[in-house]
Order: sequence, then structure tokens, then C-alpha cells
Amino acid sequence: MGLLTDSLQSAILLLFSWDPELWLIVWVSLKVSALSTLIASIFGIPAGFFIAYRRFPGKRLVLTCLNTLLALPTVVIGLLVYSFISRRGVFGFLGLLYTQEAMIIGQVILIVPLVTSLTIAAISRIDTRYRKTALTLGATDLQMAMVIVREARFGICAAIIAAFGRVIAEVGISMMLGGNAKGFTRTMTTAMALEYDKGEFVLAVALGLTLLVIAFILNTLFHFFQGRTHADTV
Amino acid sequence: MPTLYELINVRREFKGRAVLDISELAIEAGRIYTLIGPNGAGKTTLLNLLSFLDQPSCGEIRFGGTAVDYSAGSLLTVRRRVVLLDQYPILFTGPVWKNVEYGLKIRGVKKEERHNRVVKMLDLVGMQRFLEADAHKLSGGETKRVALARALAIQPEVLLCDEPGANVDKENQEIILSILNRVNKAENTSIIFSTHYLSQGRSLADHTLMLEHGLLTDVAPENVYRAVVVRREGDRVLCQAPGRLLLSMPEHLLVAGAKNLKLQVDPEDVAIVSGNEQPSGRNVFTGHVVQISQDRGRIRIGLDLEIQLNFFLSMQDYLKNPPVIGGKMTVHLPDSCLRCGSSW
Repeated sequence: MGLLTDSLQSAILLLFSWDPELWLIVWVSLKVSALSTLIASIFGIPAGFFIAYRRFPGKRLVLTCLNTLLALPTVVIGLLVYSFISRRGVFGFLGLLYTQEAMIIGQVILIVPLVTSLTIAAISRIDTRYRKTALTLGATDLQMAMVIVREARFGICAAIIAAFGRVIAEVGISMMLGGNAKGFTRTMTTAMALEYDKGEFVLAVALGLTLLVIAFILNTLFHFFQGRTHADTV
Repeated sequence: MPTLYELINVRREFKGRAVLDISELAIEAGRIYTLIGPNGAGKTTLLNLLSFLDQPSCGEIRFGGTAVDYSAGSLLTVRRRVVLLDQYPILFTGPVWKNVEYGLKIRGVKKEERHNRVVKMLDLVGMQRFLEADAHKLSGGETKRVALARALAIQPEVLLCDEPGANVDKENQEIILSILNRVNKAENTSIIFSTHYLSQGRSLADHTLMLEHGLLTDVAPENVYRAVVVRREGDRVLCQAPGRLLLSMPEHLLVAGAKNLKLQVDPEDVAIVSGNEQPSGRNVFTGHVVQISQDRGRIRIGLDLEIQLNFFLSMQDYLKNPPVIGGKMTVHLPDSCLRCGSSW
């Protein structure tokens, strides 16, 4: 217990001393996670819209695959991407291994299914009369899609926030593809794992607290948007 | 009047079941048509086809003399000439004015013109006070009026309305129907609206289309009751309809062996038994007058026989002995006004 309280006390002091190493780790985490989420949203939201609104053969299979991918362990993705970007891999010549780009690739693979699934759920909740109304008022397919996305915006925001929360807290991909290089690919979760290995708990606890605060903010936002979605459907 | 729509052997099926089957139908431009029929008659399906939001399983729809091409590019062109007002319209999230200008905005109309049109349309439907109001905070009647303004803002050639008077109070109902009438007269907009109520349809429309089980019919779905065969008396059958209507019907009108019937009393053939005649014989009923209205030069009477029986009086008959609301009236239902459909 003494270890925890001592570490907690020191960690709070460290946080308020604006330690540059700590804040650099936080910055790298936020930057990589934000870029991963942005790229995953660019692919996942239109894919979710397409799957929700179109009838095509094998749609059930696609939905089953998406749900399966939600449970994909981060180390499996790390291993898969590693096999492609390591020196002996197909894309080894690009020199991506142990870079932030490699982490982003892995994280995008991790959360595209999540963004897609939650977008499908958000779009499916939208009243079908919006589609019919937009079309009868003369909308093109794209203009109709914009109406639907606008009506489902809170649900889609919730999908983006959930995806961001997933990547900022993951450790497997960041460790395997980023390599935990100090000041470059060291994120909050990989730094915490390292500090734990070293038996240095102060930085680990300080990062843990920061991560908790971020998780709290994200959850608050998530529930705000989820709440708006439900309120809109009432 | 030029022909607006022509439907030739149009059939719409869902999961192999035909919900609409029209061999031939022509609709003239600039007129008001009412589409009457019970629930499940195919009214909404027909309106969806006429608004090009759905396409027939087979057959041809011609619009403005040209066969409709359901490929994406061509469809948008014809769809933009027609607008459908849903039975339960939904407004987009945001203020009322944004809803009304939507159709104009996607057509690339300039901002100033859009604003003028929005104000004019909201004025037309009596909703100008709600210009800035949150669309999702309006009542059912207000939502319907804003949806009507949104539909009319794009100045469609054809306005299709699915049950415009449904789910709104009497006041909003009258406002909406009078707007339809005004728009038809002022803009020459063709209007096709569906309704359950024959009287509402006939009072406004130039033409009445009646649908039953997906087929066009010339039998008005009025005075239609469920009935049960009680007993047989020689070549006649006694049928119990709801309320006091115990009707004696010639046996040949019934489907052999049927016990549950769909009974219809033709409102055109109901005979009045005047005060000095002795009410006797079969199918003579006395009730209180609950409704008197004018309907295209005739007088429509609603008589309360525990269920409502509607029938018409000529203006001449009406003036001879005008009935009053609450007054008693005796009618005779001759065999000629009785029809018996397939069981319910």
C-alpha cells in the first residue's frame, strides 16, 4: 500500500512539474492515436454507410466478419503487419518498422472494423423516412447520404470517440511495430510497460493517471453523444 | 387536359404477392385526384410508384407522355418534377427554414431567392411565426404543415399526398386541404391525395380513384360493415351487422356457405321513408341524424343506427323536408343497395 501511495504522490508531483519526457510521451500517444482514428474514420464511415444502406450478396457474412474483427487481439495485428514491413517482408524496403507510421498502420487495422460496425449501428437507427424525404425532394444519392450522415452525426461521433479510446489504450501494436523508442515511438502504454519492467513506478503511475483522465474525458464525450442519439430517436 | 400519368399493366409485388395490379389508368394534368380505399388497399404503394420512389415489378408508367426510365440519371430528372408528402412526414434536424429550403438548396437556387420562397411558403401554410423554430419541437399538425411548405417550395408539377388529413386535428386538416385546393387553382399543380374518407375526398377532388385489394374498383368503400349470418328464411338470409342492423338479404348475394361477410350498403340507393308512411317491411331502420353536409350539389346525411349509415338526398328532396341534426329519420334499404363481398 505504501508503494502505491508513495508512487501516487510522486506521480502527481511529476505531472505538475511539467516533466518534458512525460509530456513528450503523452504528445506522441495523442498524435499517433488521433491520426489512426482520422484515417480509420475516412475508411470506416463510408464503409459503414454502404453496408448499412445497400443490399448485396454476402452482407450477412461481411457483418459477421466485422464482428469477428472487433475481437482481434492487438498482438495478432502487430504480428501480421510486422510480417509485411520487417526487412524481409514485402514492404520491407519502405523502412517502416519501428516508426510512428507503422504504429498508425496497425492501429488503423485495429479500429476500422470498430468504426464501421458502430457507423452501421448509428445509420441503422436513423428513420427510413429521412431517406425517402430527401429523395422525393430531389436529392441525388450523395445528397441523400449527406442527410443521413447529418441525422446520424451523434452516433458517428460516438463511433469515432470509441475508436480513439481503443487505440490510445492499446499496447501490443505500439510495442511490436513502434519499438518503444524514447522520444519517437514511446507512447503512454508502452512507457508504462517499460517502467514496470524496470521497477520504476512513479512515471508509470503518472502516465496511468493521465490515461485515466483522457479515458474519463472520452467516456464523458461518448455518453454525451450517445445520449443525444437516444434523445433524438425519442 | 393533357395526360400526366399513364399506367399500363402495372403490377407491384412484394415477396411474390401482388399488392397493386392496375391494368390501365390515365391521370390528367392540373386536376385533383383522390385515392380512396381501406388500409392495405395499395394507396401508399401507388403513391410511391407515382413519385418514382419505387418501381413496378412489371408494366409501364408513362409520365408526360414518355415511358419512365428507371436508370439513375433519368430517374432524378422525373423525380424532381414530383413530390410526395408522407402520411407521417419527418422533418430534418434543425430550424424550420432549413427544412423548407432543402429542396431549393440541392437544386442550386440562390440564397436570396431561397429565403424569399421559404418565407412565402411558410406564409402560405400559416407557419411564418415558426421560421426559426426547432423543427423537432413542432406538434403533429405543425409538422405536417411545414412538410407541406417544404414540398411546395420546389414548385412541383405534381404534389402527391398520402393521407394529408390523417393524424391531425380538424383545424389543421381543413387548413391542409384548403391549401391543396388553393395550390391547384393558383399554380395549376396536379394533386393526388389518398384518404380513408370518401366525403373528404369527394369534396375536394375532381376525380376519385378507388382501390381495393390493390385493384381499381368503382365501388365506393362506404357503409362497409362486417356481418354474420344469423339464420336462413326461405330464399333470404338474415345477417347481423354491428349495432341494430339486422338485414334480410336475398340468398343469391351471398357466397355459398359463407358465415362472415363483408356487407356494403350503397349510399346512392338508400330510400327515405317519409313521415306519413308507415315504417314496415324488411330492412327499415330509424335513427338520429348526426351529419348533414353538401356534397357536389347533393346532401349527404349521416344516420346513427349505432353504426353510421351514410346516404345522399337530392337537393330537391332535402328542401321539401329538411332533416335536422338530432332529428329522427327512417330509411329503407332495398335489395338493390345491398352488396355482399367476400368474407373479411
